[in-house]
Amino acid sequence: MNTAVTDLIEHSAIADWLGFSAEEDDSGLVYALAFDEKHIGNPLIRALHGGVISAFLEVAAQCELAARLGAGAGVKTVNLDIDYLTSSRAQPMRARARITRMGRRLAFVEATGWQAREDKPVAKAQFRLRIGAAD
Amino acid sequence: MTSHIHPSIGAMLNNARDWLTHEHSLFRSLNLEPTLFGKGKATFIVDLPEAFTGEGDMIHGGLMTIIMDSIFGLTVFTALEEIKPIATINLRIDYIATAKAGARAVCAAHCIAVNDDIAFVSGDLKIEDDGRLLATGSGAFMVGTRGPVKGSRL
Repeated sequence: MNTAVTDLIEHSAIADWLGFSAEEDDSGLVYALAFDEKHIGNPLIRALHGGVISAFLEVAAQCELAARLGAGAGVKTVNLDIDYLTSSRAQPMRARARITRMGRRLAFVEATGWQAREDKPVAKAQFRLRIGAAD
Repeated sequence: MTSHIHPSIGAMLNNARDWLTHEHSLFRSLNLEPTLFGKGKATFIVDLPEAFTGEGDMIHGGLMTIIMDSIFGLTVFTALEEIKPIATINLRIDYIATAKAGARAVCAAHCIAVNDDIAFVSGDLKIEDDGRLLATGSGAFMVGTRGPVKGSRL
């Protein structure tokens, strides 16, 4: 595992709150959001909170950039668009992230999360991230 | 549309308030405090807890999205005439600035319209002390989603 990715996860309180982890397979990095009661948005429908899903995909996108750029690249998310494609269940979620375009000062990253099957995505998000940010 | 929250929605939101502030661990940790509740608009003061920092003592953007999705959803309820389940279709969030954990923030949201079972919401998040803008966002919500739900998505 890339040390920049493990460092990012270890030093991020929100990654800990999310129960975030990363592992590597033949196609690249796979990220996981552990299931926890506190990730539930509405107890009546027992679905994950949409904001929690977005936060998970954002950390995944940042890890994907850390894997490419190494530690200390000064990555800061500028903005995001997220589509909730289908309802989520009270289960863990997995995700992959893909760098659409890597510039000198800006990166575009797409992250896709799924639960039962990778070909049935639950949410898909686009992130634009500033590289080499001042703080 | 009347200008007041429908009584059945008001009763549901009152029940939800107890649940939000006592039962639900995510919302309890955000320490949600409503300061304005009207038809189609809501403003809440929230904590920015240390558990949601990225690197160092600055909060992660994900926390801002969690707060805005939550308050946007609540705002949709204030605009409805009867209790229906809702689901987020999509969100767009701009992170203008970040903040130190421990600060309190104000999230103000406005339900622009509910048309053909789609609710449109926009809002922003500011530091409570000095009004510094942290994030702006907008989202669309499906009203009356299918499924076993009889209550709120809260």
